[in-house]
Amino acid sequence: MNESLPANPRRLATASRNWPMRASLAILGLIALLCLIGPLVSGHPYDQVYRDYVLVRPSLFAHPDAHETHEALEGIARRMRVGAETSREEGGVLHITLSAGRPIDPRALRAFERSDVFGPARIVETSDEGRRVSIDILLKRMVFLFGTDANGRDLFTRVLIAGRISLAVGLLASFVALTIGVAYGAVAGYAGGRIDALMMRIVEIVYALPFIFFVIVLVMVFGRHFVLIFVTIGAVEWLDMARIVRGQTLSIQQRDFVAAAEALGASAPAILWRHVVPNASGTIAAFLAVLVPRVILLESFVSFLGLGVQEPLTSWGVLVADGARNIQGSVHLLIFPALFLGATLGALQSLGDAWQGSPGTGRR
Amino acid sequence: MLRFFLARVATAVPALFIIIALAFFLMRLAPGGPFDTERALDPEIAKNLRRIYRLDLPLMRQFWLYLQNLAHGDLGPSLHWRDFTVNELFAKALPVSATLGAKAMLVAIFAGAALGLAGAMRPGGIGARVVDGAAIFGIILPVFVVAPLLQLGFGLTLHALPVGGWNDGAWQNQVLPVTTLALPQIAIVARLMQAALRDALAMPHIRTLRAFGMPRYHIYIHALRAAFAPVVSYLGLAAANVLTGSVVVETIFGIPGMGRYFVDGALGRDYTLVMGTVIVVAAAVLLFNLIVDLILAWLDPRVRYESRPR
Repeated sequence: MNESLPANPRRLATASRNWPMRASLAILGLIALLCLIGPLVSGHPYDQVYRDYVLVRPSLFAHPDAHETHEALEGIARRMRVGAETSREEGGVLHITLSAGRPIDPRALRAFERSDVFGPARIVETSDEGRRVSIDILLKRMVFLFGTDANGRDLFTRVLIAGRISLAVGLLASFVALTIGVAYGAVAGYAGGRIDALMMRIVEIVYALPFIFFVIVLVMVFGRHFVLIFVTIGAVEWLDMARIVRGQTLSIQQRDFVAAAEALGASAPAILWRHVVPNASGTIAAFLAVLVPRVILLESFVSFLGLGVQEPLTSWGVLVADGARNIQGSVHLLIFPALFLGATLGALQSLGDAWQGSPGTGRR
Repeated sequence: MLRFFLARVATAVPALFIIIALAFFLMRLAPGGPFDTERALDPEIAKNLRRIYRLDLPLMRQFWLYLQNLAHGDLGPSLHWRDFTVNELFAKALPVSATLGAKAMLVAIFAGAALGLAGAMRPGGIGARVVDGAAIFGIILPVFVVAPLLQLGFGLTLHALPVGGWNDGAWQNQVLPVTTLALPQIAIVARLMQAALRDALAMPHIRTLRAFGMPRYHIYIHALRAAFAPVVSYLGLAAANVLTGSVVVETIFGIPGMGRYFVDGALGRDYTLVMGTVIVVAAAVLLFNLIVDLILAWLDPRVRYESRPR
């Protein structure tokens, strides 16, 4: 990838020898790929509820096991008011003999289909005037790699779907913050004087307020809504960007080509767009690497409070909150989403740290 | 110094007023009201409720009344917890949250500074490695992941500490929440301290002290004074972060603090309660920043002379 990028070749060359950066890129790529493809191949829709598999532990083996089969069979037999006896199992097909004091209605066999454990039942032979029925049932084979949640939904699929949302929100909200911050910072820096002082004073005041303050105020305006995430995060994260871009603007507008553009009669917006922003873009890109993990963290915070992404959709923050509630007994609900969230944040962070080596991009 | 202090207060008070006004009007302009329920209330009852809570007056007059009451220290009756005033609710919750936050800050400052010091004394040594590792973990593991993990480890596995609850502030109940709140701040403070101290140790006046053969502690005292400035100026932000983190910590550990009023009040459109929380949060942060500014000015004379009121 190094040759195709027109950026500073020396920095990228050293970067490719830098193993933390390579490792983070690999982790990020792997997680992104998993999130994109995983839900398609996991075999479970993210919102499918399996009532027979609530809080199943993570395992590599397919469900149902012998115990679960037995339990499910008992349950169905009780509801049908018949006695059930398993004769043998071969190749995922169960041979069962049902017996009752009265003739068994074949329509009642649909109960098997409705469960999450069995497929459709096929009658092999009926004897004793319909009081004894032998049936073949196909066992459904399901793998829950990460187990299931308290509603019996596959955690593997949910973690990956959550990853899609978290990553998408991270990128989109960063973009929102980027746009506001760059515009505000460039205008303040270029205008200078009293306007600059006033604009930066506002930034200072807003900067001092804790994030929860914005959550309170914006929840009142939007309620529990998806948009809330973008607005709240956008409202907070543009501040750093504005400061950095303002600093860059102050130095760029001293340069000769800006003076030349002014002499040629270019308007202020044109100068900002054509000269200032492109020259600050390296710094902006470097800061973006720091911004994205912070945004993902904030998104998960908002969702943790139950204010962001709503069920049945989910994000890593929602899943971690869920895991924290179910920590007694079902640790896997916490571990897997926390692992994905932590790996992503860590990888993005060390990527950002590696990028920070370029001059003029120091974080506040 | 007094002039510096007055100048800072002069900017903090209008900022607080603007925040109050902004929150007040934003909240009233937003759709929905405090008495919205699943079933619409009888219009007569709704009208009476609005009259009792003076929500039927013109908005400007309501704002004026609110400011008058605020000047007397009265935050008004809660619209959701009908039998309580906001003052009564806060009287119970605020000390709990304040204890938690103050302890977390103290732990963060001392543990962070100690770690940073250890890291700066021997670059590449064990201390420095711990700081680097802690910094990464402080970022990877957000508060809402650390909290349940600690519950799992110390509460459910070791049975050493209670998993939740406040129990009138018994120390066993405080250990885990305070640790959870302090951990990320420890990581940041340690990192800042280490970097600042390394820079300070490379300064010419420290080299001079070394050349004179001064004892080690003497050199470090001089270096620390220069190194404290960036750490202290971070503390304002740390306070804001602890405030945000305490909402999560209080939720997870089931602590009866301010945390639940933040979100519940906003969702239930409990106007007076939300205004109360906004004022408390903003005042706390402004106050803390004021203190930070004063310490900075005390540490570094340049700050007091250069930042004249703008």
